[in-house]
Amino acid sequence: MTILNQAEWYDISRSTTWTPKYVTEEELFPEEMSGARGIPLEKWATYDEPYKVIYSDYVNTQREKDAGAYSVKAALERANFVDEADQGWVSTLKAHYGAIAVAEYAASTGEARMARFSKAPGNRNMATFGMLDEVRHGQIQLYFPHEYTERDRQWDWAHKAYHTNEWGAIAARHMFDDMMMTRDAISVAIMLTFAFETGFTNMQFLALASDAAEGGDHTFASLISSIQTDEARHAQQGGPALKILLENGKKDVAQRLIDVAFWRSWKLFSVLTGPMMDYYTPAEHRSQSFKEFMQEWIIGQFERQMQDLGLDTPWYWDEFIRALDETHHGMHLGVWYWRPTVWWNPSAGVTPDDRDWLEEKYPGWNSTWGKCWDVIIDNLANGRPELTGPATLPMICNMSNIPIVGTPGDGWNVVDYPLEHEGRLYHFGSEPDRWVFEQEPERYQGHMNFIDRFLAGQIQPADLMGGLQYMGLAPGEIGDDAHNYAWMAAYQKEAAE
Amino acid sequence: MALFPISSNFEDDFVLQLVPVDTENTMDEVAEACAVHSLNRRVAPREGKILRVRRSSDGTVFPRDMKLGEAGLMPTETVDIIFSDV
Repeated sequence: MTILNQAEWYDISRSTTWTPKYVTEEELFPEEMSGARGIPLEKWATYDEPYKVIYSDYVNTQREKDAGAYSVKAALERANFVDEADQGWVSTLKAHYGAIAVAEYAASTGEARMARFSKAPGNRNMATFGMLDEVRHGQIQLYFPHEYTERDRQWDWAHKAYHTNEWGAIAARHMFDDMMMTRDAISVAIMLTFAFETGFTNMQFLALASDAAEGGDHTFASLISSIQTDEARHAQQGGPALKILLENGKKDVAQRLIDVAFWRSWKLFSVLTGPMMDYYTPAEHRSQSFKEFMQEWIIGQFERQMQDLGLDTPWYWDEFIRALDETHHGMHLGVWYWRPTVWWNPSAGVTPDDRDWLEEKYPGWNSTWGKCWDVIIDNLANGRPELTGPATLPMICNMSNIPIVGTPGDGWNVVDYPLEHEGRLYHFGSEPDRWVFEQEPERYQGHMNFIDRFLAGQIQPADLMGGLQYMGLAPGEIGDDAHNYAWMAAYQKEAAE
Repeated sequence: MALFPISSNFEDDFVLQLVPVDTENTMDEVAEACAVHSLNRRVAPREGKILRVRRSSDGTVFPRDMKLGEAGLMPTETVDIIFSDV
């Protein structure tokens, strides 16, 4: 008996579209879950996924991936890497696990929506594997940090973060809820897999894998490389869906979904990945600056993909490129200054050598961000540590749910982007953040950010301790300087000389 | 007399901050309240300068003795706190 090649039977095996007899098509694929936008079933049947995967091959490959990552972990466990590693890198790990692990489980729900409700059979097939991928990513990124929980309580936030009202967790939840938990299948394919995963997951996983390998953290490097290979596959669900929308006169819909998801993803990465890459990772282990990574992976690759599909770059592209020099520096300074409010210990990353690196990568850093740090350093050097921590709250953007920042010092340009809507004053950190809100005010207007909750009296007592309690940050979990201010030694030595 | 939250955009600083003030406060007192959270924390003082309060949305610089309650600001509206010669 001759066995057919997979290519000869794949299309038939995954074409699971049938004619419903007991329910209507609308009942089988409700528009609010499917998002077919009036495009008929036969058009969705032309969805052509670039990766052709069958279950038995999938399981074999995944088994090998797991075996690889888990065996690296087991082999290196006794080396106790995290005990010897720079505390800045340890903070990167804690921040990463808390912000990512449980969101992976949530992502499996988004994949499940496509697996069940997408009208494209190829999308349903790929999403079934995507759903399993995300469960694996949730499990492996909880299992790996679990061995560290005996070291200190911050590691427990790998699981805890998303179950709290910590401000960063609110921001991440708001964004992921928007793009993968509360959208129809086609919107998820475009916003989650095309805009977020193709555009940004590369940054978090490839860039950090590279920094991890440079720094000798082979366990983390192998873990996230293993995840990235799944992302590379299931991130490709958005492309064929976009093609169908474009072929059927829905370019405006496709463009808007991408423009919303891309900006939202960028803002989250500016607070999460930017500080990790340019401040937490020790300078000698940085393979590129955050901006250089963004230019290579986002501007280079994503822009090309948009053009190949016949889409435009988002209308705010110039502002996005400008912000690569700015936003993450503000997010870093904010996270460090409000360090008790995070579940990791932010690394200041501003020794004289670090500042030389920052000035080289971001010309003008010393006359802008550096001026704020000069005052902080002066306070630490002269016994005024109480002035280096928060006494009030930063204003929080009503879209990104992260602080509203701009450039300080000689380049001072901080601006609020307000909007009065139905009697309520909203604040946004940028024109695109406000634009996202204006696309669907009814979708976003009810959400209360951290400041709204504070002003509504939900946070009691209305002070720092009440805020920490509201965020679920217990003693032993609240953040402090990663190096216990040891980086100040260089400045103290300079002053003594 | 009522507690009134404003958003402080302090010149040379990097972030907007929530500052509780009172409708009876003069603009000089508002500037002083905002300075507590920026000046000498992340912004160096400037010798010989005074601080003035400016409405962010239209650039109006408020008189120094004007009471906050008379300025027509909305709760949480952003004001710039700027260094000035006069």
